[in-house]
Amino acid sequence: METIVQNTHKELVEKSKLGDRNSQYKLYELYVDAMYSVSMRMVGIKEDAEDVVQDSFIDAFKKINSFKYESSFGAWLKRIVINKSINHLKVKRIALTPIEDHEYHLKDETAEPIEKIDLIKVKLGIEKLPQGYKQIICLYLIEGYDHNEIGEILEISTSTSKSQYHRAKKKLIEIIKGL
Amino acid sequence: MMDNFEKHIRENKDFFNDKKVDKNKMWDAISKELDATKPKKVIPLWRSTGFKIAASILLILGLLTIAGPFLLQPNNTSIETSYANKEVLDIEIHYKSLVEHQVKLVQEHPALSKEDKKEFLSFMQDLDDEYDELKIEMKKNLDNERILEALIGNYKKRIELIENLLKQINSSKKINEDYGYTL
Repeated sequence: METIVQNTHKELVEKSKLGDRNSQYKLYELYVDAMYSVSMRMVGIKEDAEDVVQDSFIDAFKKINSFKYESSFGAWLKRIVINKSINHLKVKRIALTPIEDHEYHLKDETAEPIEKIDLIKVKLGIEKLPQGYKQIICLYLIEGYDHNEIGEILEISTSTSKSQYHRAKKKLIEIIKGL
Repeated sequence: MMDNFEKHIRENKDFFNDKKVDKNKMWDAISKELDATKPKKVIPLWRSTGFKIAASILLILGLLTIAGPFLLQPNNTSIETSYANKEVLDIEIHYKSLVEHQVKLVQEHPALSKEDKKEFLSFMQDLDDEYDELKIEMKKNLDNERILEALIGNYKKRIELIENLLKQINSSKKINEDYGYTL
């Protein structure tokens, strides 16, 4: 099944490389909502996320010839959306990671596991997180990046990514418990 | 190590992709932008109508330049202009003048007997005939490099022939004058 999906996508990608607007639209239709969700999680404002996604698709189709199937098309596109979201936040001078004293937070993330995880509460909890925490939680838990990749995306070290993530997770669990 | 909390979220990540966007509105903006930058796309030259027209004009001009004199003046006595382009004409003029000059030298040479001159001139005549045949071939096939090479080869042979003849004359003279020095 996955192979069929990949092949369909490959055909669409190849036609898009030739400038076929119809195939470009099909790819857009397949991914736009997921990409919009990604961007919304990162930038948090509807209009901003729309601008980011729109720019991302334009960029993606302009440089689609550089896509060489080293990852899935979705992963390639998502990376563009994530990078554009981060740039957008930088331009708006929104702190990417909280500047708090993360050095003093080495051993206190004893986050007790939540008995029954309610995804709706998780979603609400993520939305209530401070911006910097929210990004790192989303990048790790939902987008599925590892700490090396997050380090590259946010231009921070892998260890900073790890410590920030643990603090963010602790905060998230606190919020969820209070809901 | 991922705990259950993390695993559960990662396994259900699609649950979080619940945002919807106004697809058509955004697509309009995207396709508009892509259209605006379309000229950057590489279009094969031969597909463009402009190129086809330009190529056709060039082709017609080229054909007229080459075949024009032949078509416009079918009864012209100057065969050279009717079959060849400028390059061939230049080559021909160059070699023709060389050969004529050397034939003249041979004919006027006092040290050559009449028989030698006759033999030499009959060789030259053979080469002339061959050359005429090649010119007729050239008329049929303008682009044939082999014919062009044969034409040049023909002239080279003539010059070589003359040069050899002159060398012979000069060397025989030298032996007479040098009191039999041999190397």
